[in-house]
Amino acid sequence: MRNLRRSCYVAALSVGVSIMALQVQAQPAGTLRIAVGADPATFDPAFNDLPVGNAVDLAVMEGLFRLDPQNNVQKNLATDYAFSPDGKVFTVKIRTGRKFSNGDPLNAEAVAASFNRMLDEKTGSIYRGLYASLGTIKAVGEDTVEFHLAEPNGHILMLLSNTAASIVNVKALQAMGAEYGRKPVGSGPYMVEKFIGGEGFRLVPNPSYSGDYPATLKAIDFTVVPEDGSRMALLETGSVDVVERVPPESMPAINALKDAKVINPPSMFSINMEMVLRGPLADPRVRKALNLAIDREGITKGILGGLGTPSVGMVGPGTQDELRKTFPPIAFDPEGAKKLLAEAGYKPGQLTLSFTCPTGRYIKDSQVCQALAGSFEDIGIKATPIVVDRGTWTKVVGMEPAQRTDNMGIVGRATAGMDYTLYRLFFTGVGANRTGYTNPRVDALLKEGRAATDPAKQKEIYGEIQNIVWSDQPFLFLWYQTQALGVANRVQGLAIQPNETLVFDKVTLK
Amino acid sequence: MFVLKRLGSALPTLFAVSLLVFLFVDLIPGDPAQILAGPTASNEEIESIRKFLGLNEPLLTRYGQFLRGIWDPSAATSFRTHRPVVVELSERLPNTLIVSIGGLALGLVVGTIAGIVCAMRPGGLADAAITVLTLAGISMPIYWLGLLCIWLFAVNLGWLPAAGASTPAHFVLPILVIATRPAAMFSRLVATSLLETMGKDYLDTARAKGLSETRVVLFHALRNSLIAAVSVAGVQFGGMLGGSVVTETVFGIPGVGRLLVDAVSRADYPVIQYAILMFAFFFVVINLVTDLLTQWLDPRTRDQERAI
Repeated sequence: MRNLRRSCYVAALSVGVSIMALQVQAQPAGTLRIAVGADPATFDPAFNDLPVGNAVDLAVMEGLFRLDPQNNVQKNLATDYAFSPDGKVFTVKIRTGRKFSNGDPLNAEAVAASFNRMLDEKTGSIYRGLYASLGTIKAVGEDTVEFHLAEPNGHILMLLSNTAASIVNVKALQAMGAEYGRKPVGSGPYMVEKFIGGEGFRLVPNPSYSGDYPATLKAIDFTVVPEDGSRMALLETGSVDVVERVPPESMPAINALKDAKVINPPSMFSINMEMVLRGPLADPRVRKALNLAIDREGITKGILGGLGTPSVGMVGPGTQDELRKTFPPIAFDPEGAKKLLAEAGYKPGQLTLSFTCPTGRYIKDSQVCQALAGSFEDIGIKATPIVVDRGTWTKVVGMEPAQRTDNMGIVGRATAGMDYTLYRLFFTGVGANRTGYTNPRVDALLKEGRAATDPAKQKEIYGEIQNIVWSDQPFLFLWYQTQALGVANRVQGLAIQPNETLVFDKVTLK
Repeated sequence: MFVLKRLGSALPTLFAVSLLVFLFVDLIPGDPAQILAGPTASNEEIESIRKFLGLNEPLLTRYGQFLRGIWDPSAATSFRTHRPVVVELSERLPNTLIVSIGGLALGLVVGTIAGIVCAMRPGGLADAAITVLTLAGISMPIYWLGLLCIWLFAVNLGWLPAAGASTPAHFVLPILVIATRPAAMFSRLVATSLLETMGKDYLDTARAKGLSETRVVLFHALRNSLIAAVSVAGVQFGGMLGGSVVTETVFGIPGVGRLLVDAVSRADYPVIQYAILMFAFFFVVINLVTDLLTQWLDPRTRDQERAI
């Protein structure tokens, strides 16, 4: 009897809860307040290069495809897609009857116009190179878009699901000019209500949205606070619900708060010391010795305060996990390293290496550099860390290998997928291959992998490339960054992609 | 006449500044196109962005373009936002001015009062306390003081918001913090110059007329001390505009200083150049105004001008 009564209660309660849940879904409620560290100068997807801009573009616009919080590709505007038999034309069917938030129709023509605008040299988009392989885009009727590819590309879904490929309203953009970057007209569940440069901006539901991810919040308020301490203070005083980029030293203080916690989602950001493959570093034994000399656990725990995990593969987690390969962690073995150096013909103190590090670009970058120098000294290398400002660092790591005067440089990479990352970094002579890496087998595989459309085939090809790169060690592999956000307990359902993009799809407030 | 002459000498100064700003910014390491394109961009892509930004033009052409941008807003757009730089600056300027002028005014008032208190009873308890506070005010970095104030007033006491600029309450802490330096400077300045004048004969005359001590100090002694204070205030105001870079970053205030910091880290050349040019322009104007005020306060300088 008592059990029966209890189950009645439970049933009544669950009905109540589900009614409430329904209401929550039907009616956007509450204001989510977020403090971010970087000032998004523009939301125009052709120019935005910040995670916070990605988050806004994901909420305000729609792409043909999108990434879920684990970076898996999902259909968004697209309903169906197919390659032509020769792999040169990619056709996408899109949903019909959709509109931009200003009432303009979002048809095939609008989609084609959006892509052609980004690829137009006169636009000056920073993503033109990334998307150049899309070729020309044509609208066929109301609901079909054809990509006439510049070269066969089996990774087009990955490209199209990136927020840089969000569909912009070209008509509105032409009328608004640069102001479009602040109040973009898209077709997503939210729209930008106001934007005060450097101070913040506010998203509100887009009443005409009719897709699968309706707005759950009445408003999302962003405040821009670059100084870490001040930003943390906003969470501590309860003035915001979410803070971005919690520095390692503030994590205990945030975790000690009654109504907020730090969350640590993984990041695809992979940080390595990229070598210039000539002189002593042309010798694989020296590269291996360097890799063995580093205490990665010590660095990630001791210096990064836990905001990093030792690398176990060339690309970071979330970079197309279905194609990604991981390996056993590289051992910390200074004795082995010394032996390898001796084999390569270097007595202790004979080998001199210099390496370039930015300051303030990555978490604790200059401190890590000092630690690395210490580790190299321990195995008998004369190591000179060159810690420089961000501008100089950009210039140095962007040089042709032949012009470099140093031997290595720290660079973080988080890019749009396996093909793009590996092709750009390791194909012989390609413009962004700054190590001078060359391997005919890798070249052949990269070409084959780019054209391959079959996932199983891709897995095989990219598996082999990752094997070769991991054993060739053109990089001193270091760590994958870990994100740290402070989130108030009242926030439910906030998801963060491995590229640091906040996803508001299912966010509710208690 | 004096004003015209001063204005005439300001123009070459501004021209020299424009040249220096342009050349120095051009010397900043790092290529804006490369920074925009990101670390994975190929040479061809960087080249295409460089062409789009007009960075391949000869130096002289770019300088001409820079000068044109001073009166033609459409010729000077930000590399990042593509909006005219003048729009970006005018949007941010009010916040910077509120904090700088507010801080200076508050510092002036507090500092003068503290200075008078010190001068009235030199060596007293109040004098000692104010001297210690003054030393603290001059030596504490604004950056650190700002964080301390946030910790105390926002986090612990919960009286004021920690950062941002959406309500007037957001401006209270920054103005308080930024006022410490001028307050400290003025209290020292006013105290020493008051002590110096206090012994002068003309004050004895005033006292002999039967004026109260307060009247003597406020209307007879203080006026002379203010001459020095005005020139210091001018310099302080200029310093505050420069210091806005720090204050605005700590308190998350969207002012010109923050804009400048962001622009430097992203190599947004036009924004850096015009922001610095604008600061230089303010410096020139402030110097001019200070000179005029000094003339008004001190008739002797006027006579000198006439004599020449």
